[in-house]
Amino acid sequence: MKPESPDIQLIALLDRVALADESALRELYDLTSSKLFGVAVRVVTNREWAEDVLQEAFLNIWKIAGDYKATLSPPMAWMGLVVRSRGLDFLRRRTSERADVIQALDEVISDTVAGDSPNPMDTTQASEQAWALHQCLNQLENKQREVVSLAYLRDLSHSELAEQLKLPLGTVKTWIRRGLEQLRGCMGRFA
Amino acid sequence: MNILNNPSLMEQLAASYALGTLRGGARRRFEALARDNASLRAAALIWQSRLASVAELQPQAAPSPAVWQRIENLVNAEKQAQAVQAARAAPVAAAAGGWWSSLGLWRGATAAGAFAAVIAVVTGLNLNTQLSGQVQELGARLAATPDIQYVAVLADDKASASMLVTFDPKNKKLLLKRVGDFREQADKSLELWALPPGAAPRSLGVLSGDPVVRLTAAGSDMQEVPTLAISLEPKGGVPAGSGPSGPVLFTGALIQTAQ
Repeated sequence: MKPESPDIQLIALLDRVALADESALRELYDLTSSKLFGVAVRVVTNREWAEDVLQEAFLNIWKIAGDYKATLSPPMAWMGLVVRSRGLDFLRRRTSERADVIQALDEVISDTVAGDSPNPMDTTQASEQAWALHQCLNQLENKQREVVSLAYLRDLSHSELAEQLKLPLGTVKTWIRRGLEQLRGCMGRFA
Repeated sequence: MNILNNPSLMEQLAASYALGTLRGGARRRFEALARDNASLRAAALIWQSRLASVAELQPQAAPSPAVWQRIENLVNAEKQAQAVQAARAAPVAAAAGGWWSSLGLWRGATAAGAFAAVIAVVTGLNLNTQLSGQVQELGARLAATPDIQYVAVLADDKASASMLVTFDPKNKKLLLKRVGDFREQADKSLELWALPPGAAPRSLGVLSGDPVVRLTAAGSDMQEVPTLAISLEPKGGVPAGSGPSGPVLFTGALIQTAQ
């Protein structure tokens, strides 16, 4: 265990937010908004939309912070899931503008996947669990890591990934399968 | 093939399930098996929790300061609405005469009612989030700002809201916010009208094409006006003193939120 685990502080703030303490919400926002905005941008691909998603996510956290206690997740992972789920709702509501979304996706990620350039992971405020995942994701090839991350963050199927990344379906399936196999071997050592 | 006898396949399916790439019939079969099998269920939960940390590893980005402002406004509005509800629910016998005659309470209650009406209209419609964010913000400001004393939601004949109107008599400011997707052609203008009962429509001004339009109006223009309307007119609106010449597109009741 790293002694200065940030989780303790975040858990205490979530407890106070659950009691409708507005100043705790502000502190929580100051500590986590950059991280969570980063997640929102990755899910919806567009800063303006991501700001709407971040707003909805924090109002959601304000209402349901009391539910955090019942989970076993690190606080950042829990809040990240709230952001992801608000982001996915946002994308579903915008299906009519799906074409725009896909275009934006192409610009953002095809470089990473095609050019095999690393998309750096950020371990600021990462929980123990996230450190483990970070170690294991680091062992994947860049493109495998990116495809696995995108599949998860944007809740995409194999064929949606293939379509958006302009890759053959078989390639996507293989990358995901190998990526998950390698993660399995690696994560098992941390469990 | 019985996957329950194959630990490596169980793990692989649990990982695909948590990642979300296991779809359709395969996903339903996995869920059915997992309901009956604790170790399969456990594998799925472990993978869900591992993958949740993907969100912790994304690069940071700074949101605009306006986001916190919006969150704070909405949280404050919610708190105020709750306070009004609590006051409404409080026993009537609290203070002899005092409770009923408390002007502040009635003001608050009416404002909250109007606020709820705006939110009800707005959330009942399939607006895109960006606009509904703005509308929520406007609603929050409406509840939080005592200066806004009138509000109207102007809708078309299919009851689709197209314009939110607020009026602040202290500053003589009419604020119009487009919430629908109606856009007039380049050679047309929208014109806002007060419809006083038993009198001719009175023009309150011509709207620019902007999403938010500010017009100036005196308090006397807005008193005793039950309804507002917007007509489609030639560019620049009708000549001063004449009534609407084009079709009326949107109408709505003007609700007074405070005395």
